[in-house]
Amino acid sequence: MLKRFWITSQNFSILVSVCLSIVVNQGPLREAIAADPASGSLVNCEIQRGPCTQELAGMAVTLDILPRPVKAMKDLKFRVTVSGGKPVRAAYIDLGMPGMDMGPNRVELRPVKDNVYEGQGVIVRCPSGRRTWKATVTLPESGKAEFVFDVIY
Amino acid sequence: MSSTEPLYLVFLVTGFTVGFGHCVGMCGPIVVSLSLNLKGKSVLIPHLLYNAGRVITYAILGGLAGILGSFTILTSSIVSLQKGVLVFAGVLVLLMGLAMAGWIPFGRIFEDGGAGSSVLSKWFRRLSAAKSSIVYLPLGLLLGLLPCGPVYTALIASARAGMGSKSVLEGFFSGMGLMIAFGVGTVPALLLVGKLAGLRWMKSREVIYRISSFLMILIGIYFIILGIRY
Repeated sequence: MLKRFWITSQNFSILVSVCLSIVVNQGPLREAIAADPASGSLVNCEIQRGPCTQELAGMAVTLDILPRPVKAMKDLKFRVTVSGGKPVRAAYIDLGMPGMDMGPNRVELRPVKDNVYEGQGVIVRCPSGRRTWKATVTLPESGKAEFVFDVIY
Repeated sequence: MSSTEPLYLVFLVTGFTVGFGHCVGMCGPIVVSLSLNLKGKSVLIPHLLYNAGRVITYAILGGLAGILGSFTILTSSIVSLQKGVLVFAGVLVLLMGLAMAGWIPFGRIFEDGGAGSSVLSKWFRRLSAAKSSIVYLPLGLLLGLLPCGPVYTALIASARAGMGSKSVLEGFFSGMGLMIAFGVGTVPALLLVGKLAGLRWMKSREVIYRISSFLMILIGIYFIILGIRY
């Protein structure tokens, strides 16, 4: 009897966990959590206004996404400009959503002129309505710079 | 060895990990509703058929992305359809919730031998009858069109695989293969959710049905709103 109770309790707790996962993954609640002032705003780049720059290993890494306004589900050009140094190999960008696994979405960058790299990519739309995306620019052997910004649906 | 072969493995693993995170959140309510609709009957075959339908739709979309070599051309041409499917999914979950609660006029269609005679009640009875599990296949085919971020990401990879292909046929199969790998990867999570919600192990089902019907109504309305806003 104790064993049956244990199995039933275990199954029930798994179902509760699944239900919680379902509820927490729903858009409005996640938006509310993300908007919680205590958690701090994740956005560190106003990409709709213009390029953003971050320091990385003594270099200035600038990300620009064109055309503006930056919209989801559109072909976009990603431009990375590196000043104060030169990456060992070609840089690349991984696109994702903070706190949500959207699968691997990598933009390979090619040098177009000195210290300027460009590539094509798409930021996909999340049906939950979340608009905050993260572009992680990787300069091989130098490190990563994370740009968090809002896109338009 | 094709250059897309490592990608198949990447997207199989991606499907698996995304399945236990994103898919449980977005598709979980539908899967749970389908399981509850089965009223404690075996959920394995209906859910396998539902998932098979979903994977077939992903495969077709992947093949098309591979042929077109463009993600945005494909998605811009199916966006209205996806919007409709999102609303449909919401209506389906909402009706299941209302029916389970006994709040729709043609009676408690989830009761054995329910008296409802409308097309809707007949359809629900067919959906909940074990012998007609096959209806879960077209349901999966249709709901495979639900807009979903990770599915879009896998379609981007399919389109890229198509761009790098030497022929249209190679593009088609590359794109299709990637989406099959991704879709198959998502199956274990949704099967597990479906199985857990099958309630065969739970004694006090009536209480769970009442709570679930309320949640399903809320989730159905939420899906309809998402669909209208999409």
